Amino acid sequence: MQQRRTIDQIHTNRVLLNGQLDTPKWWAPTVITLGIIVAIGFFMIGIMVNKGLGVTGLSRPVYWGLFITTFVFWVGISHAGIMISAILRLSQAEWRRPVTRAAELLTVFSLLTALMFPLMHAGRPWRIIYYILPYDFARGIMPNVRSPLIWDPVAISTYLTGSTLFLYIALLPDLGNLRDRTTGWQNALYTILSLGWRGNPRQWKLQTVGGILLSALMLPIFVSVHSIVSWDFAVTPAVEGWHSTIFAPYFVIGAVHSGVSAVVTMMALMRWLWKWEDFIRPEHFDALARLLIVVATGWLAFTFLELIFAVYGLDAPELALRELQIFQWPWNILFITFVITGYIIPVGMWLQKSVRNNIALMFWSSLFVNIGMWLERFLIIVPGLARRTPFVYTWESYRPSGLEWFILFWSLAWVTFLMLLFSRFFPLVPLFEQKESETFSDSIKIGRVKVPAIVREAD
Amino acid sequence: MKLSRREFLALGAKATAGTMIFAACGLPERELIVQSPIDMPEDLVRGEDAWYATTWPDMPGGDGLIVRVMQGRAKKIAGNPDHPVNLGKQSARHDAAIQLTYHPDRISEPMLRQSKGGLYDPISWQRAEQLLQSAVEAGKDNLSVVTNPLGGHLEWVAINFAALNGGRHIKYDPTEQGVMQDAIKFVYDQEDPPYYDISNAKTILSVGADWLSTWQSSVGYSVRYGDFRSKGERGYLIHAESRMSMTAANADLWLPVMPGYEGHLAMSIAHVIVDERLTGSGEISRFFNQIPTASLVGFRPEDVEERVGVSAERIRKAARHFAENRPSLAFAGGSAGGHTNGQFNIAATHALNTLVGAVGSDGGVKYNPLPTLDGLSGRCSGDSFSDWEVELAQWRGGNVQTVIIRGADIVHGMPNSVDVVGALVGVPTVIGFGSVMNDTLANCDLILPEKTFLETWGTTIPDPAPGYEVVTIQQPVIGDTELFGGGGLISDARGFGDELLRLADGGLGADDMEELVNISIDQLYDLNRGSVSAPDKRLFKQGVLQRGGWWDTQATAETPSDHAPPNVFDLDSTVNYSSTDGLGAGNDFHLVPFLSNSLYEGRLSATPFAVQNPDPMSSAAWTTWAEINAQEAEHLGIREGDVLFIKSEHGEIEALAYPTPGGRPGVIGVPIGLGHEYGGRYDEGLGANVFKILAPRVEAASGSLAWAATRVRVERSGRKRELPKFEGEVTAFPVEPGVPVLVVAPGESAHDAEVANHHKYQQNFLLPDKSEATEEGSGGGH
Amino acid sequence: MTLQREKRKYSWGMVVDVDKCTGCQACVLACQAENNVPLNLQDRFERARVMSWIRVERYWEGEFPDIKARFIPIMCQHCENAPCEPVCPVFATYHNNEGLNVQVYNRCVGTRYCANGCPYIVRFFNYWEPVWPEAFRNHLNPDVTVRSRGIMEKCSFCIQRIRRGVRNAERENRDVVDGEIQTACTQACPTDALVFGNFMDEDSKVSKMKKDDRHYTLLPHLETDPNVVYLAKIDTDKSAGESHG
Ligand SMILES: Nc1nc2c(c(=O)[nH]1)N[C@H]1C(S)=C(S)[C@@H](COP(=O)(O)OP(=O)(O)OC[C@H]3O[C@@H](n4cnc5c(=O)[nH]c(N)nc54)[C@H](O)[C@@H]3O)O[C@H]1N2
Ligand code: SF4
Ligand code: SF4
Ligand code: SF4
Ligand code: SF4
Ligand code: SF4
Repeated sequence: MQQRRTIDQIHTNRVLLNGQLDTPKWWAPTVITLGIIVAIGFFMIGIMVNKGLGVTGLSRPVYWGLFITTFVFWVGISHAGIMISAILRLSQAEWRRPVTRAAELLTVFSLLTALMFPLMHAGRPWRIIYYILPYDFARGIMPNVRSPLIWDPVAISTYLTGSTLFLYIALLPDLGNLRDRTTGWQNALYTILSLGWRGNPRQWKLQTVGGILLSALMLPIFVSVHSIVSWDFAVTPAVEGWHSTIFAPYFVIGAVHSGVSAVVTMMALMRWLWKWEDFIRPEHFDALARLLIVVATGWLAFTFLELIFAVYGLDAPELALRELQIFQWPWNILFITFVITGYIIPVGMWLQKSVRNNIALMFWSSLFVNIGMWLERFLIIVPGLARRTPFVYTWESYRPSGLEWFILFWSLAWVTFLMLLFSRFFPLVPLFEQKESETFSDSIKIGRVKVPAIVREAD
Repeated sequence: MKLSRREFLALGAKATAGTMIFAACGLPERELIVQSPIDMPEDLVRGEDAWYATTWPDMPGGDGLIVRVMQGRAKKIAGNPDHPVNLGKQSARHDAAIQLTYHPDRISEPMLRQSKGGLYDPISWQRAEQLLQSAVEAGKDNLSVVTNPLGGHLEWVAINFAALNGGRHIKYDPTEQGVMQDAIKFVYDQEDPPYYDISNAKTILSVGADWLSTWQSSVGYSVRYGDFRSKGERGYLIHAESRMSMTAANADLWLPVMPGYEGHLAMSIAHVIVDERLTGSGEISRFFNQIPTASLVGFRPEDVEERVGVSAERIRKAARHFAENRPSLAFAGGSAGGHTNGQFNIAATHALNTLVGAVGSDGGVKYNPLPTLDGLSGRCSGDSFSDWEVELAQWRGGNVQTVIIRGADIVHGMPNSVDVVGALVGVPTVIGFGSVMNDTLANCDLILPEKTFLETWGTTIPDPAPGYEVVTIQQPVIGDTELFGGGGLISDARGFGDELLRLADGGLGADDMEELVNISIDQLYDLNRGSVSAPDKRLFKQGVLQRGGWWDTQATAETPSDHAPPNVFDLDSTVNYSSTDGLGAGNDFHLVPFLSNSLYEGRLSATPFAVQNPDPMSSAAWTTWAEINAQEAEHLGIREGDVLFIKSEHGEIEALAYPTPGGRPGVIGVPIGLGHEYGGRYDEGLGANVFKILAPRVEAASGSLAWAATRVRVERSGRKRELPKFEGEVTAFPVEPGVPVLVVAPGESAHDAEVANHHKYQQNFLLPDKSEATEEGSGGGH
Repeated sequence: MTLQREKRKYSWGMVVDVDKCTGCQACVLACQAENNVPLNLQDRFERARVMSWIRVERYWEGEFPDIKARFIPIMCQHCENAPCEPVCPVFATYHNNEGLNVQVYNRCVGTRYCANGCPYIVRFFNYWEPVWPEAFRNHLNPDVTVRSRGIMEKCSFCIQRIRRGVRNAERENRDVVDGEIQTACTQACPTDALVFGNFMDEDSKVSKMKKDDRHYTLLPHLETDPNVVYLAKIDTDKSAGESHG
């Protein structure tokens, strides 16, 4: 149980709507800087589409590299939203309330970004839609439904649609609030977007039921998305290091690890940038860190199981791959960094209560996780291709080109850019959730003092 | 009915395509069927393809070719299935040659240089021919005609044109074929190289000659190697060479001989055969008929193993195999001849044939008949280095007025020690014919665009012949090629032979090459024998063109089976040891240059097809690399891609290090073929020219350049580059036994070998128990 | 649906006698010239992007002086059960009724997934637009599409030659005669290490060679059922039952 001060609704409104009604000074310069990076990134993508994939560092055995790694990374990050909103909502974890919006937003934007990678990374991106959409019944040529590359867009676009709806439904009361507080074109915009939200009981009921239903619907999708992404690799019997039966749960739990960590990073930033100390509080970090300890440890178990299963067969190419992955320069450095940043440092830190309640330390530890998780994907995808077959004659390393690194960097800037842009027009912390939690809040007696406390999991 | 030449070609083409198919169906009688005029392949617009038979005189071997032509463009070169030398097969060089004709930097018009070292101006052919005419007139009795070894009509024209004008014809050949020719003359008293009956041999001992890749008639030899491996009992190949060449890589037993000691190795093998009485007394006495018994003293394997660089055990193994599994065949060439004692090395090896009764027998050495047509020889050897030094001195001294060069890149191919450019400066008029720029053309005063082999008439006489008389006909399979979208021809070229004949003005008995070829075809018709029989000359010519030539399998030469080799020690005994050039201490490496599998000596370096075709051993392309033993390299701190300075007393080149497990310690192998200062867009300035740093040592008997007798120092430059090679980043040792190359013992089945590999593999992981349990499971070692 | 092997008239295949391959690379260039395979410029080698529908791999065994080099030509194995096929989202690669794994350049969008799926690494991606200098376009084979950048290509068993051969036979109302259809690589191969033919014809050379005791397929544990059959290399220094290489 955490101590906190009571916040009245007026204060809540004023503070949480400061992004829209009273834009902070740092906002414009940051967004412009990011916008420039984003523009350069799109230009780079343009170069790549125009000149061909020769501008990357990809080669004959290493046909997939940084882009697919980053695709998997962003799909992983996208698992934050549903984890936080749906699962915690269904399990009635009250502390989730202030962070649900941001987490869902992260889901939507990271999915959008993830989808762009397989598109831009195709040899002829302009033909993808043309050939993949099952529009051409006349010639009887349908997409090949046996290919995981068909399952991928199906799963991801379902997830994206669901998440967007989910986000939107939760946004309705706040849109109504904004409509009432703005004038001019903003008012017009919010009027349209709020779909006539008046906050009457029927609307509230529908909104709540819709949220719960969507939560329940989204759960299987959540599990399926990263399972399917993992099957991109797992169904390929030819690639040692990819062809593994534990990939689906392994990828899902890894995604939760990276996604929830990304939420932690984001919460710290929100607290600092918008000065929301009253809303995003140490107990939230504490709760997420506890959750993360469990998730990370489960994920680590899978990591080692995967290695053990692989090596158990004493299959020569598999051994050669693992040898490369773990012991050879520069992969060994990457591997060690991955284990240290993905697990040892953050979990080691989170075991300390003092760290869990220290925002700065939580920020850095969560960043570490995502460096580690990106490396994890890289180490799964690339060494398998670089050194995977008995045809030793074809083994080649991979040196990503500057352009690939830039596009990786661009994707980070792009997601941040979208988030900031969103924050200018919509509240990042749901006002109604915040107020609801105030209503549900309890008070506890410490000595002679009665202090308000958050409602924790039904205890 | 009189057919136009074009119609004629088309007819020939159709029938050749037919021949290919029917040869395969075993219906050769249909070869000569003439197409009905209604179904003329003239109607090329329908997209009918035509395969014309021809040949490429610039490559040794004289392989018969067929060229696929569609809408007047040559599309693909392949082996002529009817031709007795290569039986339808080809090398990578043949496919690459198509790009000589369609080279984007083909010399398109005559070019005149205003002064020595000056710039070139394009001129008209009319002007060029005037200049040519006056240069030849001015050079009367002071004229040199330089070509590569060509054989056939083109060489005949060059020789006789030079003679007509009181000049000399001099041939440039970068390899040791001159030594070969002398050695063959010495051992067998034959002018022409013999035919090695590889197909029927059971054991082959080859020394120095990379005969599966570049040596002599390598395609023909490879075809016969296929038979050797698969016809009846599998043949056994012993190959002695100081570098692991492609042939060495295919040998059952490789003898990594020290350079220059090939002859010693042969003598030691003879010693074992005699000492262990591995052959009949008749053969031994024939062997000693001219070689004194005492000459083998001191050649016990144990005595020579150190200097020869091959263990006594290996020498004995080779000798026993060679003597006991007959028919056996021994021959030598290549780097064995590229030493100051080259002739001794080659002669000593050939002498072994007598010891196993291989001279004149099936699976042994067979003499070749004399060329069918008078004056037309196939000898693919050039003039010796010593002759060249004399010739160049004449040029330098201003004693030669006019030099006409065709096909011989002497500026590229001669060592630094001979100043070819300086010699060319001494000649008032140097005229070069060629299709793409090279180092020699860039030093000519007048450059004339030459038609390629796909555009001209000619003949080749295979060298060596396949045991009987063969004349291969070369015909123009395409006409002039227009540039896309108009703008004239790719090249306004003329044939070298045609130009010389025109200048001779009837003095050589014909106005152009076609007429010369026609005369020869008529002579063949008059012989009234051989592969083509026809009721009249016209149909005979058609038949010859369809088949790509004429041959007579009955026209063989008598080979004496009681042949006794001459005393190889008759050769100046001081040359029995090769003298290698060096600076003394520090010159640790023996430099062994080798002909590139796809560029040859560089005559294909302009074509990207050849430059990008991976080398069989290193898989490298687009560069000059240096093969060095992997352990030795590690010891010296040399890694792949290190830029090495390879220094001899006569210069230095840069090459990329390629440490290889197959390298012989102490030997550094560098490919020939790149390092052109001038060339097309693909080869100009690419790689290094190893010819340049060779010591000007000559083979003692023939005066040929001892091109494998230079010692060098190898230094790291400190720079590093990615070695452009096909093989991946890891030296390709298999990660598990039998994958992907499954190796079986003679008689063992693949399945048994896979099971054995599987067990062995498991034992490596200390799982002896499991190997019992999985007896059932076979599979590829899993 | 692809016809079962038994129901086919033609089931094309190749037998590769590893014991006869000398590593001469004639097949490599013959294939390149026949099939308009783009020029492999220097950077293609440096960046491991060489396109070579057939490649000759060279393996080492042992140490000097007991070192052995082994050559093996590897091209698309035309697997009956091809791992490259199901992963292609657009059916750009599929199996036809004559046993060929076919590549439809026009449909390919360049995901390179099939290349990851192929255990034999015989698929090649056009990272750059293949550029043929004007003059070299003269020798391009008009029967074979010149590919554009961004798509996958690989050995087609010289399908243009198969088509020509079958069409000629049909026109003459007969079956294709064994040996009549030659791929560019088998036509070039001087030692006849490569032999092409119809496995449905019991008397064809390939059917007979396939019965050799030395026959094996590459990576049999993957059950790809290749239409390229190899005959093992013979090494006289090996004794039966001993493991090697
Ligand atoms: N005698 C006769 N003449 C006719 C007709 C007839 O029936 N008989 N029909 C007429 C009719 S209806 C038509 S439509 C015209 C057709 O005449 P054209 O338009 O000339 O048609 P094609 O020869 O089929 O194709 C033109 C070129 O496009 C190339 N090409 C193919 N795909 C591409 C691509 O993706 N990009 C580019 N840049 N080039 C490509 C082909 O290689 C070919 O060289 O002919 C007309 N002329
Ligand atoms: S077969 Fe038909 S659909 Fe296919 S490319 Fe030809 S015309 Fe188009
Ligand atoms: S070898 Fe590779 S490309 Fe060819 S069919 Fe098999 S899996 Fe497909
Ligand atoms: S690269 Fe082309 S053929 Fe391969 S899977 Fe992708 S679309 Fe299909
Ligand atoms: S069969 Fe044809 S396409 Fe395949 S490797 Fe041989 S030549 Fe190339
Ligand atoms: S052409 Fe034949 S012998 Fe030469 S590398 Fe190819 S398969 Fe081997």
